[in-house]
Amino acid sequence: MNILAWCVAAWLFGIGVYGIVTSRHYVHLIGCLSVCQSATYVLLLGIGFRWHAGPPIFYDHPPGTPAVDPVVQALVLTDIVVGATVTALLLAIALQMQKRRGTLDPQHLRPFRQQK
Amino acid sequence: MNTPARILLLAIALVVLAPAAASLILAMPAFGHPLSHYGMAVNALAPHLRNVSNMVAAVNFDIRGIDTLGEECMLLAAVTGTVMLLRGHRGEGMGEHAGGVPGRKQAPRSDATVLLCRFMATALFLFGIYMVLHGTVTPGGGFQGGVIAASSFMLLYLGEGYAAWRRIVRGPVLDVLEGSGALAYALAAALPLAGGYAALQNVLPLGTWKDLFSGGLMVAVNYAVAFAVIGGFGMLLLEFMEETRAPENDPVPDEENE
Amino acid sequence: MSWAVGALLGLSALAGLLVVLSRDPRRQVYALCANGLVLSLLFFALQAPDVALSEIAIGTVVTPLLFLVTLAAAAMNRARR
Repeated sequence: MNILAWCVAAWLFGIGVYGIVTSRHYVHLIGCLSVCQSATYVLLLGIGFRWHAGPPIFYDHPPGTPAVDPVVQALVLTDIVVGATVTALLLAIALQMQKRRGTLDPQHLRPFRQQK
Repeated sequence: MNTPARILLLAIALVVLAPAAASLILAMPAFGHPLSHYGMAVNALAPHLRNVSNMVAAVNFDIRGIDTLGEECMLLAAVTGTVMLLRGHRGEGMGEHAGGVPGRKQAPRSDATVLLCRFMATALFLFGIYMVLHGTVTPGGGFQGGVIAASSFMLLYLGEGYAAWRRIVRGPVLDVLEGSGALAYALAAALPLAGGYAALQNVLPLGTWKDLFSGGLMVAVNYAVAFAVIGGFGMLLLEFMEETRAPENDPVPDEENE
Repeated sequence: MSWAVGALLGLSALAGLLVVLSRDPRRQVYALCANGLVLSLLFFALQAPDVALSEIAIGTVVTPLLFLVTLAAAAMNRARR
């Protein structure tokens, strides 16, 4: 249990990179990229977690009750929202590529190749 | 580079990095016993220094507010890039007819869907606004509430259909929302500088503990972020949905192809 | 409640694997919804309600929706050619 969170983060990142390398469709590739992003979320929140502590919101509990780290939660929070917009940008690029080249297969779309 | 070569390169990289990853995992602090001195200091000091009860919002909008300004600019840049890419190829007009794939029927909308979506869209939008307003007191804030409110736009499309949806959710309004949100955040950072304080310093009165408007400048920054997120995600949904319309009879000439 | 955190960590590893192993993009959209849901439950168990709220809204609604619309637009463009 001591190292499970770090192992899960490393596993998610590794499997995401494997999915990117062996992908045959650009939209599938962007999904694997979001798996890599979720690896960082798991790692960051795992760093801040403390056993038998509550959330860092002191509305019902008085300030001074044990709470988890709020700094990493702030990082992950903005990261999730901005990551969604970057995913949208990547999807727009994939859509434009599909309009110009007619295919979304990374094996057939090599850079600097003459347009068929 | 064909696939076997790529997988071989990935295998070599994993073999080289695996001992490093293993030693790092074994050297990390034990899960559940963190060494977070900064976090413990924020939890101990921020409720008295800022009169807020949501520590995550305090870190996001006040203590590390400059980082969130950078994230705000990232959001703005990503949405602008998407809109430019999609609109640059398609043109600025609104598509009249739904695009279709030949051989696939388009199912008509049922009354139950329309009724449910009308209820749920308004309820969801109100819930998102409620989340934004309570950002500094309970779990919530500009980012979460903004995304919830922006996802109500899609329920509206589901219930009303595309033409009615475009009349309700207007592109220029969302543009103004997003731009003014980012501008308000930049002003909240710049105006204390003009007044002689540090950037993003909390110069407004802090309010009472557990009150809705506690936190000073944090409240204004929270609303700015909510505007920017609602406008940005609404623009994204609008542009992507517009891609699924049938093109007009005379397409916009594409200067990159000439 | 340590079993909840451990079980959810294992589930999130499984959900990530399912996202990668769904090669058809239309199937991967549902795997992405499941991944978002499992991750938000994990964030709740790790005492992070703000993060879980945004992960629910984004990982379960917005991102799979954008994927679906992109796939629909790509299918229309392919049919139009």
